[in-house]
Amino acid sequence: MFDRRQTREWVHGLTALILSLFLLGVSSNLGIVKGAADIVGEILAVPEYPAVKLRAFLGRMFLWAREKSELQDRIETLQRENAALRVTRAVVLNEQLKAELNARMSDVQVTMRAPLSWWNEVRLDKGEDEGVTSGLPLFQDGFLVGRVTSVGKFSSWAELLTSPSLMIPVVIEETRDLGVVVGEGNGTVLLTYVPVARGDLSGMNLSTALIGEQLPPGLPIGKVGAQVGTEDDGYATYRVKTGADLSRLYTLSLLSRAKDGAR
Amino acid sequence: MLLLLWLTQDLLTVLTWGFVEVPEIFMLGLVYQLLTEDREVHPGAIWIAFAGGLLWDLRWVGIPGFFTLGYVIVVMLVLWLWHTLPSSGRTLSVVFLLFSASQLIPPLLPVLILGGEPGGLHFLFQQLWALPLVLLCVLSYARHRRKKNPNA
Repeated sequence: MFDRRQTREWVHGLTALILSLFLLGVSSNLGIVKGAADIVGEILAVPEYPAVKLRAFLGRMFLWAREKSELQDRIETLQRENAALRVTRAVVLNEQLKAELNARMSDVQVTMRAPLSWWNEVRLDKGEDEGVTSGLPLFQDGFLVGRVTSVGKFSSWAELLTSPSLMIPVVIEETRDLGVVVGEGNGTVLLTYVPVARGDLSGMNLSTALIGEQLPPGLPIGKVGAQVGTEDDGYATYRVKTGADLSRLYTLSLLSRAKDGAR
Repeated sequence: MLLLLWLTQDLLTVLTWGFVEVPEIFMLGLVYQLLTEDREVHPGAIWIAFAGGLLWDLRWVGIPGFFTLGYVIVVMLVLWLWHTLPSSGRTLSVVFLLFSASQLIPPLLPVLILGGEPGGLHFLFQQLWALPLVLLCVLSYARHRRKKNPNA
């Protein structure tokens, strides 16, 4: 069956097997095993040193990469939160401004519009007692109509945009060009002192300019209409399509001064 | 050479400890040596396997016997099967089977004796990593055989 050499192999094999089984069976109870394991560990610590160091290095790199990734995630989360907070803050401010504006706006009735000064002035039903002061702007549907010029105890007078004596510095919002809006006294409102070289400005929006001392800036007036003439000094004159209907003035809105004194 | 393979396996285990189980590189080398050497009798191989397994147990298991037994069983299986088969029966499929057994049996014993997860899962992954190495050994064996006997 087996030749002599194979028998020798089997004897060695079986001996090793029995020894292995013996070790497996009794070694857990032998104190010497712990000592042997320590010795093997100490001896192998020398060749294993580079691998241990490399493992530690790789571990640190992994942690660093993970921390970096976590930081990146955190930054992105904070950016999203920041954007949301910015929107929330803008909404809150907007609401505050709206509330403040509503508090400052009050309705006034036109009680008189004399035929002789039809396009120049109107009388309002509120005066000093209701907190009206000279210079306050008047609106119709959110567009400037004129400004209060004189105040009595129970009523006040306001000059209209169509009046030739009310000259309002304005800005063309699209080009930031400045000009002056003035009435002709016949229902027509003109935009003057606009440089000719600016091209066709019709259809652009007009609002009060910062340089005007009488009115706060940014109050909407209307749109630039057709060009009606050019002055010799290089300035053009345009018609103004007022946002308010100045031939139908009944109930207007009065913007009172802010509590802190700002315009 | 076998000492170098044992150390390689040990160093790779140091590097990947806790993540993956390293293939039995030492046993691949030993089985390859048994299959390619012309010697008829290999009693030394049995004791080399015994020593390799014992060292591994002392270094990584703490209880001698698990890998000692596994390594010895693999070597005896290889010797018995290889000597039983005639030259015509020593095909590449048999070689693949023997190399695979060298990867399967030693780590299987601790799983069978100690059992359960995560040992079972680690064992499966170890077999997966070992497969390319086993195929490489089979390929190397085929080259060796062709060089030795060009007409085969």
